[in-house]
Amino acid sequence: MSKKISILLKMLVFPAAVMLVTGTLGSMTGAQAATQSGSKIEQLTQSMSYAEYQKRYEKYYGNFTAQMAENGNPADFLIDDGKDLANKVVGSKGKSCASCHGKDALKLKGAATTFPKYNAKLKGVMTLALQINTCLKNQMGAKPLKYESYDQLALTLYVKSLSNGMPIQVSIDGPAKPFYEKGKIAYYKRHGQLNFSCAICHVKYAGYKARSNLISNNKHHADHWPCYRLKWGKTGSLQRRFRGCMKNMRVKKPPFQSEELRNLELYLTYIDNGDRIQVPGMRM
Amino acid sequence: MPQGIGKIKIRLPRTVRKGQIITVKTLIIHPMETGLRKNKKTKKKIPAYYINDVSVYYGDQLITHENWSIAVSANPFMSFDLKVDKAAPLKIVWKDIKGGIYQKTVQIEPR
Repeated sequence: MSKKISILLKMLVFPAAVMLVTGTLGSMTGAQAATQSGSKIEQLTQSMSYAEYQKRYEKYYGNFTAQMAENGNPADFLIDDGKDLANKVVGSKGKSCASCHGKDALKLKGAATTFPKYNAKLKGVMTLALQINTCLKNQMGAKPLKYESYDQLALTLYVKSLSNGMPIQVSIDGPAKPFYEKGKIAYYKRHGQLNFSCAICHVKYAGYKARSNLISNNKHHADHWPCYRLKWGKTGSLQRRFRGCMKNMRVKKPPFQSEELRNLELYLTYIDNGDRIQVPGMRM
Repeated sequence: MPQGIGKIKIRLPRTVRKGQIITVKTLIIHPMETGLRKNKKTKKKIPAYYINDVSVYYGDQLITHENWSIAVSANPFMSFDLKVDKAAPLKIVWKDIKGGIYQKTVQIEPR
Protein backbone atom coordinates (compact mmCIF):
# COMPACT_ATOMS: atom_id res chain seq x y z
CA MET A 1 0.00 0.00 0.00
CA SER A 2 2.68 2.48 1.02
CA LYS A 3 4.61 1.60 -2.14
CA LYS A 4 1.65 2.58 -4.27
CA ILE A 5 1.33 5.88 -2.50
CA SER A 6 5.01 6.68 -2.95
CA ILE A 7 4.78 5.95 -6.69
CA LEU A 8 1.75 8.20 -6.95
CA LEU A 9 3.59 10.93 -5.08
CA LYS A 10 6.58 10.63 -7.41
CA MET A 11 4.29 10.97 -10.41
CA LEU A 12 2.86 14.13 -8.93
CA VAL A 13 6.17 15.61 -7.80
CA PHE A 14 8.09 15.18 -11.04
CA PRO A 15 6.02 17.48 -13.30
CA ALA A 16 5.85 19.98 -10.46
CA ALA A 17 9.66 20.05 -10.26
CA VAL A 18 9.98 20.53 -14.02
CA MET A 19 7.51 23.38 -13.90
CA LEU A 20 9.47 24.94 -11.06
CA VAL A 21 12.69 24.88 -13.08
CA THR A 22 11.13 26.32 -16.20
CA GLY A 23 9.30 28.83 -14.08
CA THR A 24 12.41 30.17 -12.39
CA LEU A 25 14.53 30.15 -15.53
CA GLY A 26 12.41 32.34 -17.73
CA SER A 27 8.76 31.82 -18.50
CA MET A 28 9.34 30.12 -21.85
CA THR A 29 6.35 28.29 -23.26
CA GLY A 30 6.61 25.41 -25.69
CA ALA A 31 5.24 27.39 -28.62
CA GLN A 32 7.81 30.16 -28.18
CA ALA A 33 10.66 27.67 -27.99
CA ALA A 34 9.57 25.87 -31.13
CA THR A 35 9.94 29.02 -33.20
CA GLN A 36 13.42 29.64 -31.83
CA SER A 37 14.82 26.15 -32.32
CA GLY A 38 16.55 25.10 -35.52
CA SER A 39 19.69 26.69 -36.97
CA LYS A 40 18.78 30.24 -35.98
CA ILE A 41 20.74 31.79 -33.16
CA GLU A 42 18.63 33.04 -30.30
CA GLN A 43 19.27 36.64 -29.31
CA LEU A 44 20.29 36.67 -25.66
CA THR A 45 21.93 39.40 -23.62
CA GLN A 46 24.72 38.70 -21.15
CA SER A 47 23.25 38.96 -17.66
CA MET A 48 26.32 40.45 -16.01
CA SER A 49 30.04 41.03 -16.52
CA TYR A 50 32.61 38.48 -15.41
CA ALA A 51 33.85 40.76 -12.62
CA GLU A 52 30.38 41.01 -11.15
CA TYR A 53 29.89 37.25 -11.41
CA GLN A 54 33.17 36.72 -9.55
CA LYS A 55 31.98 39.02 -6.76
CA ARG A 56 28.85 36.90 -6.38
CA TYR A 57 30.86 33.69 -6.43
CA GLU A 58 33.04 34.91 -3.58
CA LYS A 59 29.97 35.98 -1.62
CA TYR A 60 28.37 32.53 -1.90
CA TYR A 61 31.33 30.16 -1.79
CA GLY A 62 34.35 32.16 -0.59
CA ASN A 63 37.73 31.17 -1.98
CA PHE A 64 38.07 27.67 -0.60
CA THR A 65 38.68 25.97 -3.95
CA ALA A 66 41.55 28.36 -4.64
CA GLN A 67 42.98 27.60 -1.20
CA MET A 68 42.65 23.85 -1.74
CA ALA A 69 44.38 24.09 -5.10
CA GLU A 70 47.21 26.03 -3.42
CA ASN A 71 47.60 23.43 -0.67
CA GLY A 72 47.93 20.59 -3.14
CA ASN A 73 46.00 19.64 -6.24
CA PRO A 74 45.66 15.85 -6.68
CA ALA A 75 45.92 16.39 -10.44
CA ASP A 76 49.57 17.46 -9.99
CA PHE A 77 50.52 13.78 -9.81
CA LEU A 78 49.17 13.25 -13.32
CA ILE A 79 51.60 15.79 -14.70
CA ASP A 80 54.55 13.85 -13.24
CA ASP A 81 53.20 10.61 -14.72
CA GLY A 82 52.61 12.32 -18.07
CA LYS A 83 56.26 13.33 -18.14
CA ASP A 84 57.30 9.68 -17.70
CA LEU A 85 54.82 8.58 -20.38
CA ALA A 86 56.25 11.11 -22.85
CA ASN A 87 59.67 9.43 -22.54
CA LYS A 88 58.32 5.87 -22.64
CA VAL A 89 58.80 3.87 -25.84
CA VAL A 90 55.55 2.26 -27.05
CA GLY A 91 54.26 0.80 -30.31
CA SER A 92 55.62 -1.16 -33.24
CA LYS A 93 57.93 1.58 -34.56
CA GLY A 94 60.03 1.81 -31.39
CA LYS A 95 59.38 5.48 -30.83
CA SER A 96 58.37 7.64 -27.90
CA CYS A 97 57.01 11.20 -27.84
CA ALA A 98 60.53 12.31 -26.92
CA SER A 99 62.11 10.92 -30.12
CA CYS A 100 60.33 13.58 -32.24
CA HIS A 101 59.64 16.38 -29.75
CA GLY A 102 62.94 16.46 -27.83
CA LYS A 103 63.70 15.35 -24.28
CA ASP A 104 60.58 15.37 -22.08
CA ALA A 105 58.73 16.59 -25.24
CA LEU A 106 59.88 20.12 -24.36
CA LYS A 107 59.61 21.26 -28.01
CA LEU A 108 55.84 21.17 -27.52
CA LYS A 109 56.05 24.28 -25.33
CA GLY A 110 53.31 26.64 -26.51
CA ALA A 111 51.73 24.03 -28.79
CA ALA A 112 48.61 23.70 -26.66
CA THR A 113 47.72 27.39 -27.08
CA THR A 114 46.46 26.92 -30.66
CA PHE A 115 44.28 23.88 -29.94
CA PRO A 116 41.54 23.06 -30.91
CA LYS A 117 42.32 23.87 -34.56
CA TYR A 118 41.31 22.86 -38.08
CA ASN A 119 42.91 19.74 -39.52
CA ALA A 120 42.75 19.12 -43.27
CA LYS A 121 43.18 15.33 -43.03
CA LEU A 122 40.40 15.00 -40.48
CA LYS A 123 38.24 17.60 -42.29
CA GLY A 124 37.24 18.85 -38.88
CA VAL A 125 38.42 20.29 -35.60
CA MET A 126 41.42 18.64 -33.95
CA THR A 127 41.53 18.72 -30.17
CA LEU A 128 44.64 18.06 -28.10
CA ALA A 129 43.45 14.67 -26.84
CA LEU A 130 42.57 13.55 -30.36
CA GLN A 131 45.94 14.80 -31.67
CA ILE A 132 47.78 12.71 -29.06
CA ASN A 133 45.82 9.61 -30.05
CA THR A 134 46.38 10.29 -33.77
CA CYS A 135 50.12 10.64 -33.12
CA LEU A 136 50.16 7.37 -31.17
CA LYS A 137 48.34 5.55 -33.97
CA ASN A 138 50.03 6.95 -37.07
CA GLN A 139 53.55 7.96 -36.00
CA MET A 140 54.31 5.44 -33.26
CA GLY A 141 52.21 2.46 -34.36
CA ALA A 142 50.71 2.11 -30.90
CA LYS A 143 47.18 1.48 -29.73
CA PRO A 144 45.28 4.75 -29.13
CA LEU A 145 44.47 5.42 -25.48
CA LYS A 146 40.93 5.27 -24.21
CA TYR A 147 39.42 8.69 -23.57
CA GLU A 148 39.16 9.69 -19.89
CA SER A 149 41.61 6.94 -18.96
CA TYR A 150 44.44 7.78 -16.56
CA ASP A 151 47.20 7.68 -19.19
CA GLN A 152 45.27 9.74 -21.73
CA LEU A 153 44.53 12.46 -19.16
CA ALA A 154 48.12 12.39 -17.87
CA LEU A 155 49.62 12.92 -21.35
CA THR A 156 47.10 15.66 -22.25
CA LEU A 157 47.66 17.40 -18.95
CA TYR A 158 51.45 17.23 -19.27
CA VAL A 159 51.49 18.63 -22.82
CA LYS A 160 49.09 21.39 -21.80
CA SER A 161 51.06 22.22 -18.66
CA LEU A 162 54.11 23.00 -20.85
CA SER A 163 52.26 26.10 -22.10
CA ASN A 164 51.11 27.24 -18.66
CA GLY A 165 50.92 31.03 -18.43
CA MET A 166 50.75 31.55 -22.22
CA PRO A 167 47.68 33.23 -23.75
CA ILE A 168 45.24 31.10 -25.77
CA GLN A 169 45.38 31.89 -29.51
CA VAL A 170 42.68 29.85 -31.22
CA SER A 171 42.10 30.74 -34.86
CA ILE A 172 38.67 30.61 -36.50
CA ASP A 173 39.72 32.04 -39.87
CA GLY A 174 39.51 30.18 -43.17
CA PRO A 175 38.46 26.53 -43.08
CA ALA A 176 37.79 26.54 -39.31
CA LYS A 177 35.01 29.13 -39.67
CA PRO A 178 32.10 26.75 -40.52
CA PHE A 179 33.01 24.52 -37.57
CA TYR A 180 33.03 27.52 -35.26
CA GLU A 181 29.58 28.47 -36.56
CA LYS A 182 28.35 24.91 -35.98
CA GLY A 183 29.66 25.06 -32.42
CA LYS A 184 27.93 28.38 -31.85
CA ILE A 185 24.63 27.01 -33.15
CA ALA A 186 25.00 23.98 -30.87
CA TYR A 187 25.64 26.33 -27.94
CA TYR A 188 22.49 28.34 -28.60
CA LYS A 189 20.24 25.49 -29.75
CA ARG A 190 17.46 24.44 -27.40
CA HIS A 191 17.21 20.69 -27.04
CA GLY A 192 16.38 17.92 -24.61
CA GLN A 193 13.37 17.16 -22.46
CA LEU A 194 13.69 20.38 -20.48
CA ASN A 195 14.16 22.54 -23.60
CA PHE A 196 17.37 24.20 -22.42
CA SER A 197 20.33 25.44 -24.38
CA CYS A 198 23.85 26.00 -23.01
CA ALA A 199 23.41 29.73 -23.53
CA ILE A 200 20.21 30.03 -21.53
CA CYS A 201 22.08 29.22 -18.33
CA HIS A 202 25.57 30.51 -19.09
CA VAL A 203 24.68 33.72 -20.95
CA LYS A 204 21.19 34.86 -20.00
CA TYR A 205 21.07 33.67 -16.39
CA ALA A 206 24.79 33.50 -15.55
CA GLY A 207 25.32 34.68 -11.98
CA TYR A 208 21.82 33.74 -10.86
CA LYS A 209 20.84 30.55 -9.11
CA ALA A 210 19.44 27.24 -10.39
CA ARG A 211 18.10 25.61 -7.24
CA SER A 212 21.03 26.09 -4.83
CA ASN A 213 23.80 26.33 -7.41
CA LEU A 214 25.30 29.51 -8.79
CA ILE A 215 25.37 29.37 -12.60
CA SER A 216 28.81 30.20 -13.94
CA ASN A 217 29.65 32.81 -16.55
CA ASN A 218 30.88 31.41 -19.88
CA LYS A 219 34.14 33.35 -19.69
CA HIS A 220 37.12 31.36 -18.33
CA HIS A 221 35.31 28.08 -18.93
CA ALA A 222 37.96 26.46 -21.13
CA ASP A 223 41.34 27.65 -19.87
CA HIS A 224 41.96 25.27 -16.96
CA TRP A 225 40.92 21.83 -18.28
CA PRO A 226 41.65 18.94 -17.69
CA CYS A 227 41.03 19.72 -14.03
CA TYR A 228 40.34 18.04 -10.72
CA ARG A 229 36.66 18.20 -9.81
CA LEU A 230 35.65 17.65 -6.20
CA LYS A 231 32.28 16.15 -7.15
CA TRP A 232 33.95 13.47 -9.26
CA GLY A 233 36.88 12.97 -6.88
CA LYS A 234 38.87 12.57 -10.07
CA THR A 235 40.53 14.45 -12.87
CA GLY A 236 38.43 14.82 -16.00
CA SER A 237 38.35 16.61 -19.32
CA LEU A 238 36.16 19.42 -20.61
CA GLN A 239 34.20 16.96 -22.74
CA ARG A 240 33.28 14.91 -19.69
CA ARG A 241 31.85 18.10 -18.18
CA PHE A 242 29.91 18.78 -21.40
CA ARG A 243 28.37 15.33 -21.13
CA GLY A 244 27.50 15.94 -17.48
CA CYS A 245 25.68 19.14 -18.41
CA MET A 246 23.87 17.30 -21.22
CA LYS A 247 22.70 14.66 -18.77
CA ASN A 248 21.19 17.39 -16.58
CA MET A 249 19.46 18.85 -19.64
CA ARG A 250 18.12 15.34 -20.50
CA VAL A 251 19.83 15.31 -23.89
CA LYS A 252 21.16 12.19 -25.61
CA LYS A 253 24.90 12.31 -24.91
CA PRO A 254 27.26 12.22 -27.91
CA PRO A 255 30.40 10.06 -27.48
CA PHE A 256 33.82 11.51 -26.54
CA GLN A 257 35.63 13.40 -29.32
CA SER A 258 32.58 13.25 -31.57
CA GLU A 259 32.21 16.10 -34.07
CA GLU A 260 29.53 17.81 -32.00
CA LEU A 261 31.63 18.00 -28.85
CA ARG A 262 34.75 19.08 -30.73
CA ASN A 263 32.91 21.97 -32.39
CA LEU A 264 31.52 22.99 -29.01
CA GLU A 265 35.02 22.91 -27.53
CA LEU A 266 36.29 25.18 -30.33
CA TYR A 267 33.50 27.69 -29.70
CA LEU A 268 34.07 27.75 -25.95
CA THR A 269 37.85 28.03 -26.25
CA TYR A 270 37.53 30.89 -28.73
CA ILE A 271 35.62 32.89 -26.09
CA ASP A 272 38.68 32.58 -23.84
CA ASN A 273 41.14 33.85 -26.48
CA GLY A 274 43.83 35.92 -24.78
CA ASP A 275 43.37 34.35 -21.35
CA ARG A 276 46.28 32.46 -19.88
CA ILE A 277 46.33 28.67 -19.66
CA GLN A 278 46.38 27.46 -16.04
CA VAL A 279 46.33 23.68 -15.70
CA PRO A 280 45.50 21.72 -13.64
CA GLY A 281 42.48 23.59 -12.36
CA MET A 282 40.31 22.76 -9.40
CA ARG A 283 36.54 23.04 -9.45
CA MET A 284 33.73 22.19 -7.09
CA MET B 1 41.98 -0.53 -9.19
CA PRO B 2 42.61 3.13 -9.98
CA GLN B 3 46.11 4.16 -10.83
CA GLY B 4 48.34 6.38 -8.75
CA ILE B 5 47.42 5.01 -5.30
CA GLY B 6 49.95 5.87 -2.63
CA LYS B 7 51.49 8.90 -4.31
CA ILE B 8 52.40 11.38 -1.60
CA LYS B 9 53.17 15.07 -1.46
CA ILE B 10 54.49 16.79 1.67
CA ARG B 11 54.91 20.55 1.76
CA LEU B 12 57.01 22.51 4.24
CA PRO B 13 57.90 26.22 4.40
CA ARG B 14 60.99 27.07 2.36
CA THR B 15 63.03 28.34 5.29
CA VAL B 16 62.61 27.07 8.84
CA ARG B 17 64.03 28.74 11.97
CA LYS B 18 64.61 26.97 15.27
CA GLY B 19 61.71 27.43 17.69
CA GLN B 20 59.31 28.35 14.88
CA ILE B 21 55.86 26.76 14.62
CA ILE B 22 55.36 25.57 11.03
CA THR B 23 52.38 24.08 9.19
CA VAL B 24 53.03 20.77 7.44
CA LYS B 25 50.67 20.00 4.53
CA THR B 26 50.29 16.47 3.18
CA LEU B 27 48.33 14.92 0.35
CA ILE B 28 47.94 11.23 -0.55
CA ILE B 29 46.17 9.64 -3.50
CA HIS B 30 43.71 7.00 -2.29
CA PRO B 31 40.15 6.06 -3.41
CA MET B 32 38.84 5.78 0.23
CA GLU B 33 36.04 3.43 -0.83
CA THR B 34 33.45 3.22 1.96
CA GLY B 35 32.07 -0.24 1.25
CA LEU B 36 28.54 1.14 1.15
CA ARG B 37 28.44 2.09 -2.52
CA LYS B 38 27.09 -0.11 -5.29
CA ASN B 39 28.33 -0.56 -8.81
CA LYS B 40 25.44 0.85 -10.82
CA LYS B 41 25.77 -1.64 -13.69
CA THR B 42 26.44 -4.93 -11.89
CA LYS B 43 24.47 -4.01 -8.71
CA LYS B 44 27.24 -5.45 -6.57
CA LYS B 45 28.74 -3.73 -3.56
CA ILE B 46 32.16 -2.16 -4.02
CA PRO B 47 34.37 -3.57 -1.23
CA ALA B 48 35.65 -1.19 1.44
CA TYR B 49 39.14 0.17 0.89
CA TYR B 50 40.23 3.07 3.03
CA ILE B 51 43.06 4.39 5.16
CA ASN B 52 42.44 3.78 8.87
CA ASP B 53 45.73 4.53 10.56
CA VAL B 54 48.05 7.52 10.25
CA SER B 55 51.11 8.19 12.37
CA VAL B 56 53.70 10.95 12.29
CA TYR B 57 57.24 10.58 13.62
CA TYR B 58 59.65 13.47 14.26
CA GLY B 59 63.03 11.85 14.79
CA ASP B 60 62.31 8.84 17.02
CA GLN B 61 59.34 10.46 18.72
CA LEU B 62 55.75 9.64 17.76
CA ILE B 63 54.09 13.03 17.46
CA THR B 64 50.55 12.13 16.51
CA HIS B 65 48.51 9.06 15.75
CA GLU B 66 45.12 9.21 14.02
CA ASN B 67 42.36 6.69 13.40
CA TRP B 68 40.51 7.48 10.18
CA SER B 69 37.24 5.98 9.04
CA ILE B 70 34.97 5.94 6.00
CA ALA B 71 33.93 9.55 6.58
CA VAL B 72 37.23 10.87 5.23
CA SER B 73 37.13 11.98 1.60
CA ALA B 74 38.99 10.51 -1.36
CA ASN B 75 42.54 11.79 -1.84
CA PRO B 76 42.74 13.01 1.77
CA PHE B 77 44.56 16.19 2.65
CA MET B 78 45.98 16.52 6.15
CA SER B 79 47.80 19.43 7.78
CA PHE B 80 49.17 19.91 11.26
CA ASP B 81 51.31 22.38 13.20
CA LEU B 82 54.79 21.42 14.36
CA LYS B 83 57.22 23.16 16.70
CA VAL B 84 60.71 22.85 15.24
CA ASP B 85 63.29 22.24 17.97
CA LYS B 86 65.79 19.90 16.30
CA ALA B 87 67.18 18.84 12.94
CA ALA B 88 65.54 15.47 12.34
CA PRO B 89 63.63 13.53 9.68
CA LEU B 90 59.83 13.84 9.63
CA LYS B 91 58.29 10.49 8.74
CA ILE B 92 54.58 10.06 7.95
CA VAL B 93 53.03 6.60 7.58
CA TRP B 94 49.59 5.80 6.17
CA LYS B 95 48.11 2.29 6.54
CA ASP B 96 44.98 1.04 4.79
CA ILE B 97 42.68 -1.88 5.63
CA LYS B 98 44.02 -4.09 2.83
CA GLY B 99 47.50 -3.98 4.34
CA GLY B 100 48.98 -1.28 2.14
CA ILE B 101 51.64 0.87 3.84
CA TYR B 102 52.61 4.19 2.28
CA GLN B 103 55.30 6.37 3.80
CA LYS B 104 57.45 9.34 3.03
CA THR B 105 60.28 11.04 4.89
CA VAL B 106 61.39 14.65 4.63
CA GLN B 107 64.37 16.20 6.39
CA ILE B 108 63.72 19.24 8.59
CA GLU B 109 66.81 21.41 8.96
CA PRO B 110 66.29 24.58 10.99
CA ARG B 111 68.74 27.43 10.51
